[in-house]
Amino acid sequence: MILIIIPAADYVFAAGDEPAGYLDRRVVIWNLFYKMMTVAFTVGSVVSGTIIWICWRFRESHPKATPTPYEEQGVW
Amino acid sequence: MGHHSNWPEWLYVGVVIALMCWVGGEAWNAERLIEHIPADAEIIKVTGQQWFWTFEHEDGTKEIGVLHVKVGKAYKFEVTAKDVDHSFNIHDYVVLMDAVPGRINTVWFAPMEVGEHAIQCKEYCGLIHYNMRGKLIVEAADPST
Repeated sequence: MILIIIPAADYVFAAGDEPAGYLDRRVVIWNLFYKMMTVAFTVGSVVSGTIIWICWRFRESHPKATPTPYEEQGVW
Repeated sequence: MGHHSNWPEWLYVGVVIALMCWVGGEAWNAERLIEHIPADAEIIKVTGQQWFWTFEHEDGTKEIGVLHVKVGKAYKFEVTAKDVDHSFNIHDYVVLMDAVPGRINTVWFAPMEVGEHAIQCKEYCGLIHYNMRGKLIVEAADPST
């Protein structure tokens, strides 16, 4: 773990200090944008997909639907 | 109710926390990188007013509406405004900084290629806001090249 964390932190904090050339802010900003968009769309599709599946699977008319303990006892 | 496993919930919580950490880390690092102004950056004072931009170089040269810079050199913009809020934007280089009266905001960039790019105001600042445009002219570092 130490072998990963320390070099990674070192790399992150040293970035931008390189003497050769300047940082291209277009690359940094658009990379961040595309990464964030990928995360947003992935999370969005997983969450909405899960909700759709739950609605489909646990509907009353689903062949495998079983009554909850509350419904079985008729009290809640 | 019988005992049931809740590992999916914990897995979900773990994934959400991990994603938030990653997203936060990436954004923090990107911001840290682009806010690191090179020590040798030339300062250009940018002043927005209804409805044009004024630029003042370190040597005192002033330009109105047109900004000349050299390729491969870093520039630090000190952005302010004289009347109302404006926003200094060079879209092609993703430079965007609010120009606020009484404040000096900084943003830097280093043009990579020779060319011409649009400068515009990105904060609605009155009737002629739509035409508060300028031109960035990136010239070769050495005129002989």
